[in-house]
Amino acid sequence: MSTFFYMTKRNIKLFLKDRGMVFTSLVTPLILLLLFATFLGNVYRDTFKSNLPEGFEVSDKIISGLVGGELCSSLIAVSCVTVAFCANFLMVQDKVNGARDDLMTSPVKQSTLSLAYYVATVVSTLVICLIATALCFVYLACVGWFLSFADVMLILSDVVILTLFGTVLSSIINTFLSSQGQITAVGTIMSAGYGFICGAYMPLSQFGAAVRNTVMFLPGTYGTSLVRNHMMGGVFGEMTAKGFPDGVVEGIKDSVDCNLYFFDKGVSVGVMYAVMLVTVGLLIGAYVAINFIKGKKKKSGRI
Amino acid sequence: MNSEKIIEINNLNKSFKDVHAVRDLSFSVRRGELFAFLGVNGAGKSTTISIMCGKLTKDGGTVIINGADADGAPAKIKNSLGVVFQSCALDKYLSVYDNLQSRAALYGITGDKFKARYKELSELLHFTDLSKRTLGKLSGGQRRRIDIARALVHKPEILILDEPTTGLDPQTRKLLWRVVSDLREQEGLTVFLTTHYMEEAADADYVVILDGGRKVAEGTPLELKNAYTHDYINVYGGDMGELSALGYPCREAGGAIRISVPDTAHAAALISEHRELFTDFEIFKGNMDDVFLTVTGKELSGGEGL
Repeated sequence: MSTFFYMTKRNIKLFLKDRGMVFTSLVTPLILLLLFATFLGNVYRDTFKSNLPEGFEVSDKIISGLVGGELCSSLIAVSCVTVAFCANFLMVQDKVNGARDDLMTSPVKQSTLSLAYYVATVVSTLVICLIATALCFVYLACVGWFLSFADVMLILSDVVILTLFGTVLSSIINTFLSSQGQITAVGTIMSAGYGFICGAYMPLSQFGAAVRNTVMFLPGTYGTSLVRNHMMGGVFGEMTAKGFPDGVVEGIKDSVDCNLYFFDKGVSVGVMYAVMLVTVGLLIGAYVAINFIKGKKKKSGRI
Repeated sequence: MNSEKIIEINNLNKSFKDVHAVRDLSFSVRRGELFAFLGVNGAGKSTTISIMCGKLTKDGGTVIINGADADGAPAKIKNSLGVVFQSCALDKYLSVYDNLQSRAALYGITGDKFKARYKELSELLHFTDLSKRTLGKLSGGQRRRIDIARALVHKPEILILDEPTTGLDPQTRKLLWRVVSDLREQEGLTVFLTTHYMEEAADADYVVILDGGRKVAEGTPLELKNAYTHDYINVYGGDMGELSALGYPCREAGGAIRISVPDTAHAAALISEHRELFTDFEIFKGNMDDVFLTVTGKELSGGEGL
């Protein structure tokens, strides 16, 4: 147990002390903020306004709450996964710089090392993403706060679930990486691509049907929608209370992916949770199996 | 040094697909010995060490280290071994203390036990003032001392030095060997060395030379020199024509004429028969480079001498 504790501590310290790695992990949120400042903010605003019936007046606070909620949910949904990938690159760097060989000369079990990488990545990712979430809350408080205590708690639980998902996904992919070039390639692909395929950069409603149906097979989409539902639920509640027709509210929910459709069939929030939790469970099982098989192959010299 | 065998390897075999990396390799290492394991890249040294460390499984043969069989008690073997790699395998962003703390924890050494061991090692290897320094900011020599401390953190009985001086400047290499020599004296360590520097192998108690995965020669450096090299007479101020006429191979070397003779007896006889030709001379044995070249037909790519 103490070995696991000290290896986890070592991994967390290594990530947080490597400024390059921390900066790389923050590239995606920074890209998102840049996109928001340049044009995404206007896209979001126009999307909401286009869903309102003719002559309907909406306060600036509600619009800002909607735009801010969409931005913050996108930021959190992407960060939990991309930060996890960067934090977990440590396991590949250990292979590249020989540290893994050094660790394996000791009697420590492979499973202890793998678990230490996993837990350290979860902790490092949570530290950064919870700070990001806190900053999002501050931002929302400034532009338009509509969150209840329950919403805040649900958002925090979403951060945990998405972090677990991002960590196990990165653990599986990183298991197959063994060079600095591969780290850079995967990091770049994840930073640039994940935001699109999970619906964080652009709502899925703006994609064509084929792309939309395809990304509905990816669990990250459901994670993004979960955060978005909890981040924007308060604003929608306020709109309903102010007498907005249900059709209008549902139209906006459709346009920002709070409502997801799997081949035209609506997906409830409960199902989104189930998809994420089952996916995390299955991926952890796959990670354990891959490690077991790869460990045996490596010892026999077949890889 | 005593006669007890601390490493016994018999008929070891290992293949990677079509490549037979280690073929029927057998050797033993005595407790307290400085053992040199030589071979060009691809000779099978690293594969053998990886099998000894439990990183690779073997295809056949037996590996017994400190009384434990590699098949049955890999953890016991790993506790007996400390490895210094060719390049530093520690974490450059962590402090010296944090590095050794995380590595010690791999062996269950934590808390006060670790603090006591850290104090011992920092005094033994003279790095008490480096505890808080980040590893990446240390000089090559300082980092090498921390590498050795990491290898010794769990008090192993065998220290494996895998090409430990490759790429180091002469001063750091001297420092490393002084530290290793002190450790052998003070802690009775057995040292298992692979190196490209033949001068280092010349100081070993026993040498095994590998080529193509097979053992091609073994013995003490003196035995190997006697078996595989000639003696040489360096003659200063001599005449090449007259010396060549003696019937032995001659060549110019470093301002002298070097005559190659089968052994010291031949050298002594030659000099006493032709005193007029040998006014300023020296007799010396071939070195480990010559041994290696004779045995394998290859030269090791080492650097300048210590």
